[in-house]
Amino acid sequence: MATDHELSDFLRSVERRAFKRTAFAVRDDEAALDIVQDSMIRLAEKYADRPAAELPLLFQRILSNATMDWFRRQRVRNAVVQNFSEFESDAEGGEFDLLETLQLVDDTTRTESAADSVGRVQILLAIEEEVSQLPQRQREAFLLRYWEELDVAETAAVMGCSEGSVKTHCSRAVHALAKALKAKGITP
Amino acid sequence: MNGLRRTSLGPPEPAPHQEALQARFARRIAGALSRRSDDLPHDIAERLRVARLHAVDRARELRKLGAAPAVHLQSGGTLTMSGPSWWLRLASLAPLVLLLVGLLFIQRSYVEQQIRAAAEIDAAILTDDLPPQAYSDPGFTEFLKSPRSVE
Repeated sequence: MATDHELSDFLRSVERRAFKRTAFAVRDDEAALDIVQDSMIRLAEKYADRPAAELPLLFQRILSNATMDWFRRQRVRNAVVQNFSEFESDAEGGEFDLLETLQLVDDTTRTESAADSVGRVQILLAIEEEVSQLPQRQREAFLLRYWEELDVAETAAVMGCSEGSVKTHCSRAVHALAKALKAKGITP
Repeated sequence: MNGLRRTSLGPPEPAPHQEALQARFARRIAGALSRRSDDLPHDIAERLRVARLHAVDRARELRKLGAAPAVHLQSGGTLTMSGPSWWLRLASLAPLVLLLVGLLFIQRSYVEQQIRAAAEIDAAILTDDLPPQAYSDPGFTEFLKSPRSVE
């Protein structure tokens, strides 16, 4: 059973990422804060007696479900059907060179002077913008897999899809990001 | 922005290598996102902190409720403290026990009522004047011959 201290430490470690991930999805900071807060309360009320090791996966599931609930409520409220896959693209990004982009990433993250700090913030903003522009499922898979550091099986469990789908979403997300960043001449 | 440097790769990369490149790139993007999330506006960071404290408090409250002894109000109006588990289980069985006892009582009183009614009829028949036609009834004749009728 997770102690109060373990629960607090866990929530502290995920709260900012949870907020950003939710804000990417709902594009509304206030709503994202509400969703994260609700998810924290749900975790505390229903699963605080579970071992600390189980909390990450449980929290990601709760957060994903809470986000989906928010979209459902919005759909009802606005009577507008939101198609999460509207930005899905069939393009596989075959023309870009991932190693080349990675090389650029290495170059720009290695050195930073005070004069570069403004540029660095702009780069981080641009990366964030590109991530937010990803199709919803691709972004979800990418962030769970690489930001929350869940493995493929855990990501599939949270997203309610197959492991193959997770791999496909992640691959497409990486290719889309690399292509977009390369086009802008921006590297993380 | 930073200058672009083109790198020629030649033939397509094998799948495992491509996957490793993909993972490295993704982790760098994730690193950039982490740096951004470290710079959240103060009000948002503060609200997240308050939400976290609220959640931990809630978990603590629920744990206390689960561990604390239950308080029962007895019929006399006095409060007694007792362990929550087996008293509650016993109390939840009480309605079932009451129902069974009630059913048994109803069945028993129904049977007794039937016996009393039959006895009254028998007594009325035995104490009443016997009509002469009764002796022509084969059942009554049989009744008179049976040992019980002698008693």
